[in-house]
Amino acid sequence: MSVKYVPVQWNKNKWGYDAVLVALVVAYILIFIRLGTPAAELARPLDYAILRMRAFGTCAFWMLTIILCIGPLARLDKRFLPVLYNRRHFGVLTTVVAFTHAMYVLGWYFSFSPQSQWLALLSSATGFGQFLGFPIEILGVSALFILAVLSATSHDFWLSFLSAPVWKTLHLLIYAAYVLVVGHVALGYFQDGANLTFATLFALGALTVSGLHLAAWFKERKVDETIIDWVKACRPEDIPDKRAAIVTLSKDERVAIFRSGKSFSAVSNACAHQGGPLGEGKIVYGCVTCPWHGFSYKARNGRSPAPFTEMIPTYNMKLEEGVLYIDRKANQPGTDVEPIIYEVAEDG
Amino acid sequence: MAKTQEPFFVGWGKVPKDLRLFLICCAVGLVVGFAAMAYATASTQEDTGAGAFMGQTRATGVLQVEPYPILHVISSPHFEKGDTILLSGNGKRGAIDQAKDHDGKIVQIRGFRLDRGGLQGVQLRNGQRGLRPTENQETSMQIPVESLGRWKLSGEICDGKCLGGAMRPGTGLAHRACANLCLLGDVAPVFVSSGPIDGSEFLLLSNEDGQAVTQDILDYTAILVGAEGEVERHGDMLVFKISPETIKVAQ
Repeated sequence: MSVKYVPVQWNKNKWGYDAVLVALVVAYILIFIRLGTPAAELARPLDYAILRMRAFGTCAFWMLTIILCIGPLARLDKRFLPVLYNRRHFGVLTTVVAFTHAMYVLGWYFSFSPQSQWLALLSSATGFGQFLGFPIEILGVSALFILAVLSATSHDFWLSFLSAPVWKTLHLLIYAAYVLVVGHVALGYFQDGANLTFATLFALGALTVSGLHLAAWFKERKVDETIIDWVKACRPEDIPDKRAAIVTLSKDERVAIFRSGKSFSAVSNACAHQGGPLGEGKIVYGCVTCPWHGFSYKARNGRSPAPFTEMIPTYNMKLEEGVLYIDRKANQPGTDVEPIIYEVAEDG
Repeated sequence: MAKTQEPFFVGWGKVPKDLRLFLICCAVGLVVGFAAMAYATASTQEDTGAGAFMGQTRATGVLQVEPYPILHVISSPHFEKGDTILLSGNGKRGAIDQAKDHDGKIVQIRGFRLDRGGLQGVQLRNGQRGLRPTENQETSMQIPVESLGRWKLSGEICDGKCLGGAMRPGTGLAHRACANLCLLGDVAPVFVSSGPIDGSEFLLLSNEDGQAVTQDILDYTAILVGAEGEVERHGDMLVFKISPETIKVAQ
């Protein structure tokens, strides 16, 4: 988090994360070109452009597949949350790899004609009404356009400028991009059909993305649709110190009840930054800290410590017969609420 | 009392000890997994075929302009007398501009040879350096045209230049847009039959009148189609005079 915008707020973890990303891409491209292809049974060596468009194209597909697996993996197992931390860099690098693939395609298949490359791309597209023979390049270009928009708007400036809900909705277009990429591959290279290994891996990748999302949805599908004003939450003893319990008010609204010693406060479960699950966070240096990007808030008023200005809604609570209840009606972001004080008996 | 031993990661803080090993395993696993997928995908790539540019060549022969420029070879260091070769221009261009004024004449060509087994071609040099009529127009060579009757064929429509080896594999859906661009540039279309017809699986395409057929076939390139038409033998090249309304995508 920052009070001013800088291109990248580098820290040691981001350097490490990006180093792994670069190693990933370099290893893939080098092994594809230098080791894998020479082992293939080819009558003649592949043209350099064909070889590189295949290497970068398949690499971009796997990268996008992994990116889409990170979200549900983090929902299923919190140990994957650090992988989610710098996911935007993963996305930007994927765009670069996909763009490189596109440039090789454009510079090979769409060159050497009297038309410009882009005009050639458009004029050669026929068969829009067909399933087999549909112009796959249009699917690829559309996916690349989405990736480019998402990369260009990935910075926190755009998050603040567009507001978190709009930004988040915009970035859900990553799923549209993935569907387009699957169509791009499935209707093109995949249909040529001779590479059973790639076809199998491709299908496994797409199924893994779908399967993980279904598993995460299944885990969280139980939604409390109660309509009473005060929602029964939990016993104070159920909440570990410095941690939270998450209570579902409706399909779209969740509350995180944080405990700090004998003090209990309720705030929105959605971080003001990117809607990260604050209830899966922890109280660090006296502040509720988001597990995604480390944004921090005071538990009693939902305000980020100065000089930061982010705010989240707070909730009123009451304690009856040893049980915490939450007022369904949220307070304005930043509203101060007196914490519930309850001495939790130490066990052992 | 509830307790938690779960380590908590904050991006700007230190990675908790309990998480460090897990994350290192994730990173190593991801890099190794990517390396393995790269090898598995690359080592099982399909062969793009033996077609390729085979160096410079020259030939003298009788030029036939329609449906697309072809040369019936009289003499050449690389082709046999009686061979029929497809002519194309530079890049995604046909040879019609160079050939149109010399139909039926004896010409000398120079360019780069393309060879894919039963399909031979030459990418002409530009202008008169690539194609020019010879001074001596006398020849005893006759170009026999023989009708092989009406056929119903299944196969793939490609552009003759890429198929010949200018771009490999030169077939298949990944190459479809490139094939369309070549055809729009007046490169000769070729029908790759699923089975050999009178000994050849490559047939030059024309419309029913024996003229260029480009616009009617653009939706059907690079996919398996079925089509009907008359097949003729021009020299040693088969010409499939396709009936565009009979072209159907094979199921």
